[in-house]
Amino acid sequence: MPGRQLTSAEYARLAGSGALIEAEWAPCRSACPVHADVRAYLDLIGRGKFREALDVIREVLPFPGACGRICHHPCEQDCRRNDVDQPAAIRDLKRFVTERDYPEGQKFRKPVQDRAPVAVVGAGPSGLTAALDLAKLGYRPTVFDRSAAGGGLLYSAVPAYRLPRKVLQADVDAILAQGVELKLGVEVGGALTIDALRSQGFKAVVIAVGLSRSRGLPIPGADAQGVELALPFLASADSSGPRFAGKSVVVVGGGNVAVDVARTAIRLGAVRVQMACLENEKEQPAWAWERHEAAEEEVATLHRLGPKRIVVRDGRVAGIEFKAVTAVFDEQGRFSPKYDESKLTTLDCDVVIFAIGQESDLSLARGTDVKVDERGRLVFDRNTARTSAQDVFACGEVVTGPGSAVEAVASGHRAARAVHQFLTGAPINLAESLPPKVEKIAPATVNRLLKATRAAMPTVGAAERRRNFAEFELGLDEAAAMQEARRCMSCASGPFVLTDKCAACLTCRRVCPFEIPEVKEIADISSALCQGCGICASECPANAIVMASYGPDAVQKEVGAALAVLRPDRLRIVVFSCGHHAPATRWGGSEAARPAAVAKEIYLPSMSRLSAADILAAFEAGADGVAILECTSGACRYPTVDQRLRRRVDLARQLLVEAGIDGARLSLAVGGAGDPAAASKAVAQVAERAARQTHKHG
Amino acid sequence: MIVADRKPLEEILKHVAGCGRILVLGCGGCVTVCASGGDRQAEHLAAQLRLAAKGQGRAVEVTVKTPTRQCDREFLEPLRADIGPADAVISLACGVGVQLLAEVFEAKPVYPALNTTFMGAHTGPGTWTENCRGCGQCVLAETAGVCPVARCAKSLVNGACGGTNKGKCEVSKEIDCAWYLIYKRLKARGDLSFLRAEREPLDWGKSSSGIRRTLVHPELTDTVPASAPAAPKS
Repeated sequence: MPGRQLTSAEYARLAGSGALIEAEWAPCRSACPVHADVRAYLDLIGRGKFREALDVIREVLPFPGACGRICHHPCEQDCRRNDVDQPAAIRDLKRFVTERDYPEGQKFRKPVQDRAPVAVVGAGPSGLTAALDLAKLGYRPTVFDRSAAGGGLLYSAVPAYRLPRKVLQADVDAILAQGVELKLGVEVGGALTIDALRSQGFKAVVIAVGLSRSRGLPIPGADAQGVELALPFLASADSSGPRFAGKSVVVVGGGNVAVDVARTAIRLGAVRVQMACLENEKEQPAWAWERHEAAEEEVATLHRLGPKRIVVRDGRVAGIEFKAVTAVFDEQGRFSPKYDESKLTTLDCDVVIFAIGQESDLSLARGTDVKVDERGRLVFDRNTARTSAQDVFACGEVVTGPGSAVEAVASGHRAARAVHQFLTGAPINLAESLPPKVEKIAPATVNRLLKATRAAMPTVGAAERRRNFAEFELGLDEAAAMQEARRCMSCASGPFVLTDKCAACLTCRRVCPFEIPEVKEIADISSALCQGCGICASECPANAIVMASYGPDAVQKEVGAALAVLRPDRLRIVVFSCGHHAPATRWGGSEAARPAAVAKEIYLPSMSRLSAADILAAFEAGADGVAILECTSGACRYPTVDQRLRRRVDLARQLLVEAGIDGARLSLAVGGAGDPAAASKAVAQVAERAARQTHKHG
Repeated sequence: MIVADRKPLEEILKHVAGCGRILVLGCGGCVTVCASGGDRQAEHLAAQLRLAAKGQGRAVEVTVKTPTRQCDREFLEPLRADIGPADAVISLACGVGVQLLAEVFEAKPVYPALNTTFMGAHTGPGTWTENCRGCGQCVLAETAGVCPVARCAKSLVNGACGGTNKGKCEVSKEIDCAWYLIYKRLKARGDLSFLRAEREPLDWGKSSSGIRRTLVHPELTDTVPASAPAAPKS
């Protein structure tokens, strides 16, 4: 973005308002349907602040557990690290923070709810999201669902090996704990009509019934025994035992649901599972990674096959015959398959499962003012999220068509906003103007960046996992997660230059490991290239560089919080550590093993942030000693930080000694990386020297 | 650019020992560029003053301000409200700024935090080196842009002395012989005639060893030259 420059007065006005960090978005955030602040939560994870990271996610995504496992992660597709090596493992990190045990528990506050009751039909991700948003706004939402559990298709159609039921239930429970009422086993449209909801006092209704019916194909033999439909099959699959033992299964369809069906069929004991789809390999709609996982589990995929008839023997499926597909889409790219009836293929099998798409059950609209068009779709205004009835809104797949969970959540947010505007008498306006996306990184800068291998998700081997419904991805451990989080390139979090302070001294240009600042009249630091290390901000002699992602007093605030948990009548040692070292300062997981019962750690995403002034400020704030765990050369994502840190500590020590403070009360522990013994020794030494000078004890 | 270096804290402390309120003034000019007296260094000093006072069991209130530069009155006037309540002012400007500050706020004790050392350029990471001594009669035109006054240990203006040794000065092997540099550059240009010309000795009366020097740009002064046409009457 040109013009990342402002005056001190403008900065004083904007600081803390979020305006600077919102000036441009990282591509991950723009790509995310709910615009989760990925950069912010990866930064927190990299500093060991897992709970805080989860809070950032929850602000916009009430299904962190589910999405941490099954999200199609458009954030990763757009991650600028793709231009360097591989994208940050954002989805896996999201999962990681949902799996921690937080000492403070997962407590949720029930908001004050003194506004109108609202009915939501359907407890899938869109319906529950709309309900949660409305609860937070003070409404009293009740969600009706005919199933036995909340979660919609996540509950009934996503196989447990991808999304364990208890994970989904935890997400649903969290939503309910925040003021959403869920009534299960209730079908709206039967005895309970939309009019009945109105007369019960609901001031608005949100239809979020999803696509709950699998479509079949009216081909000969489709009524034979052994022909199944995807959704009912998936709903009963994990409780049905090895009912396909010894059987051969053909799944008709090439989408994500078809892949789920095929992999589920394998787990039910089928000896052979083949997916047959209209599309060729490039056109096939299922996500590449899911197709890959299915192939690992020995699911075969056959392309360009259009179902012609089911081969039936004695009333049972014996095979399925296909005609060749010559084209799937017409010239305008519309779905319009063409066949060559002369080329036929027959697959012998015992079971055929159709996974060719879903449709909505809109029986609840029958006989009401909620209209359905001639093609059986809900009459719906995208701009207002409203149906043909004033007080009835809709969201999720029933109006968006097939999509992913996070897209349904985004749709739920829109419906909640519409309902709120409607119920407050405001004109409904769902238009959003989003900040611009940070530009692509230039190859010259890419060449200066350090490569870092993406953390691999540990998985159960295909041979083992295809036997059961246990989750096959095992999750990242803490060290891997913190390291992975620090691969984030912190896009658009970098500096603004204060025009009235910059002396064009060139220091920023000279200290930047990537040679990004350009200095003409004053410094100009491109957000498209900046990696957000903050070295320039910590060195600028004019204090003319401010970071968008943290204020000049950010480290000092952390020091204040750290000191507040230590007793002032005893020694207080502040330990600065890169997130890289965090596992080394867990003190073996036991508080008793602390090197001194007086130390408190502060993890920074990189020591690049720690200025000499921050070190002095720690002493001023009341720290009796400061231990800094030295970066291991090459461990930081930013080059030169290890050397720069040494210089800063030297300067700070010199300034402290001049002010009459024993220089040994500030230590830079060499070899602290991943070495609890070294870390603990360094802290103990500082504590000892501090005790000698301050006459305080641990 | 004017280059300056921080004084030891001990020296600064001597002057402000009894002060309860201290104003520390950075300078946004040359001393920011050489990273000795910018806002950041002013904050470092302020932290030191507070820590030192705390070590002696005293409380001291230290405020930091950094004007655009201290060598212009216009940037000092707005500081009046900050200077008023201060018991003392510590300036991280060069000697020029400190003096002007002391002049503008005559009643206020103003102490320097820097030793003003030279006029120089950035010559390497974190390094500034003297290039000009302000002698008042620049000879750079004849010496291929290398100043023998500032860079020759003896300030010789008529060629190298007998102490030149393989391009280095007899004073130290770390110092380039200025006259060797002059010779090399002129030779590369293919014109050594300057070296053959005889130069008058410098008039040291124009140098810093003489009276206080002043720079006047008449076109920027308030004085209207006698030859100028009279301003039309309105």
